[in-house]
Amino acid sequence: MSDRLRRVPVVAGWVAAVALLAVAPLYVDAFWLQAGLVTIAAAVGAVGLTLLVGAAGQLSFAHAFFLAVGAYGYAYLSGRSSSGTTVGLGVPPVLGAVGAVAVAGALGLAFSPVASRLRGIYLGVASLSLVFVGQHLLQNLTSVTGGFNGRPTPAFTVAGFDFTGTEPELTIAGVPFGAVERLWYLSLLALAGACLLARNLLRGRAGRAWRMIRDSEVAAAVMGVDVRRGKASAFVLSSMFAGAAGVLSALALDRVVPDYFGLLLSIEFLAMIVIGGLGSVAGAVTGAVFVTALPLVLARYSGVLPLVADAGSGGVDASVLARFCYGAAVVLVILVQPDGLAGLGRRIRSRLRRTTPPPPQSGPDACPAGVLQETP
Amino acid sequence: MSALRVDGVTVRFGALVALDAVSFTVEPGTVHAVIGPNGAGKSTCLNVLSGVYRPHAGSVYLGDRELTRLRPHHIARLGIARTFQNIELSGTQTVEDNLLLGRHHLMRAGLVATALGLPSVSREERRHRARVREITDFLGLSAAIDRPAALLPYGLRKRLEVARALALEPRVLLLDEPVAGMDTAETAEMAAAILAVRAELDVTVLLVEHDMGLVTRIADRVTVLDFGRRIFDGSPEAMTSDPDVVAAYLGGAPPSDSPRAVSPSALLGGAPEGEK
Repeated sequence: MSDRLRRVPVVAGWVAAVALLAVAPLYVDAFWLQAGLVTIAAAVGAVGLTLLVGAAGQLSFAHAFFLAVGAYGYAYLSGRSSSGTTVGLGVPPVLGAVGAVAVAGALGLAFSPVASRLRGIYLGVASLSLVFVGQHLLQNLTSVTGGFNGRPTPAFTVAGFDFTGTEPELTIAGVPFGAVERLWYLSLLALAGACLLARNLLRGRAGRAWRMIRDSEVAAAVMGVDVRRGKASAFVLSSMFAGAAGVLSALALDRVVPDYFGLLLSIEFLAMIVIGGLGSVAGAVTGAVFVTALPLVLARYSGVLPLVADAGSGGVDASVLARFCYGAAVVLVILVQPDGLAGLGRRIRSRLRRTTPPPPQSGPDACPAGVLQETP
Repeated sequence: MSALRVDGVTVRFGALVALDAVSFTVEPGTVHAVIGPNGAGKSTCLNVLSGVYRPHAGSVYLGDRELTRLRPHHIARLGIARTFQNIELSGTQTVEDNLLLGRHHLMRAGLVATALGLPSVSREERRHRARVREITDFLGLSAAIDRPAALLPYGLRKRLEVARALALEPRVLLLDEPVAGMDTAETAEMAAAILAVRAELDVTVLLVEHDMGLVTRIADRVTVLDFGRRIFDGSPEAMTSDPDVVAAYLGGAPPSDSPRAVSPSALLGGAPEGEK
């Protein structure tokens, strides 16, 4: 019973957070909702990457590639052919989105013979190739990708309800619900689903096997874990989360362009999960908020912030400053708080409860990045 | 129950012959010890048995089943579990999760079912958690069940390794120096635990060990390796008076009239005292 009582503040916190996010479109202006959409899309991708890098200990730079597969996959499957430039299959948007995720998973599976045989940094290097191959294809496979200028994101319509437009007209509490407001709920739903799936995986049989593979491949193997299969499953699942994040990004940005899916995006994803705390779902979401929202916030207030120049004027602009900030945050986290913001949260909670000892920060068997699983 | 048979196994690392046509048989239901000086090939032997190394020649059989070409997780599923000399636990995971990992091959939950949190998955988790409780009770780890493995003291981590191997419900348990670095009291506890495992869980035990006292106390049969060759195979009592074994541990047979001649059994860690 006391256990249940102790959960009350946690549950209350969740209820409050969900309520706040649910009413946000009524009070927050479109700029912030738009920033939120991009952030939510990033959070879905970060949750997927933390399964692979945080839990299974496999470094991957290919995340941007799989996001591109999801984004372009959706645009290709559900888009319409426009005369002479791009082709599209015009399948219903829901099927197009699911198909894009499936294609990302299938490509992850196709790469898994490599992903399941390499470990850590070696997979990181091998996965770089996917980003470059991806960039080449995005620029040159113009009938599918639209080349340098990309292609527009097809509307997301379910049973006549347009999530990316104003059809049918909808006004709630005096606020007209346009594309941003509608997408907000759709994206939140997707994020909640992604977090739930990832949490279940991490707490279950698969998560235990991934963490054992990360800590000792030999031990995992002699305990009956098929190591290659475990690494492959983490890679495929993380690709599918990236695919879903790609679809959400495409919807949020209204247009898919190749520049967005470069190596820098992969590195930003790695920064997210390190800042948030490797292997933690809540950490991945927090890290995504930090890394994605920071440049947008800085750009918004660049007029009042000292030292921030307008973009393109030659000085330090908002996106560069944001990169400095999260670069510094990564260094700080690794030096001071190896299990990231999630670890900080756990420590505060356990201090409040004074029941369980704080998780190890270092020690002979603790891994360098302090990758504790989610505390149940 | 079937015997574990090692037949002419040879392992080379470059020019170094780590195991040279080694053969022995571990009879079901016994405690069998493999001993030898440093570099004799004891750990290599365990690595071959558990599938971590593939021998250049020779075979390993469990009953009629050949293990030599199988990958480690297949061998684990056939009922051979092992511990490591240098503890290989998942340090950030709790004792319970480490033990549940040992039950990985007994569980069926697939990725989709786990991700969706189906009721069958939670039922399975509950069932296996109950069995993990029994194992921690059996080995005295219950008080630590929710602690991360890395935070346990050395002796408990050693015992957790044994517990995790038992969680696989093995037919054969391979122990790589289970009492290395332990004091007398901890060694006695571990010896009792090993004998209890054999008696109550009906598990065959193959033990690689330096501690001669432990070997003579609990082993039914001993194989002695030296520079990768088998130099003795027989009862612990016979071992302590075997000239080859004494020579291996002394680096040469002492002349019997030498004033420094010591009784072999004293050198080998105390008289066997004829316990069995």
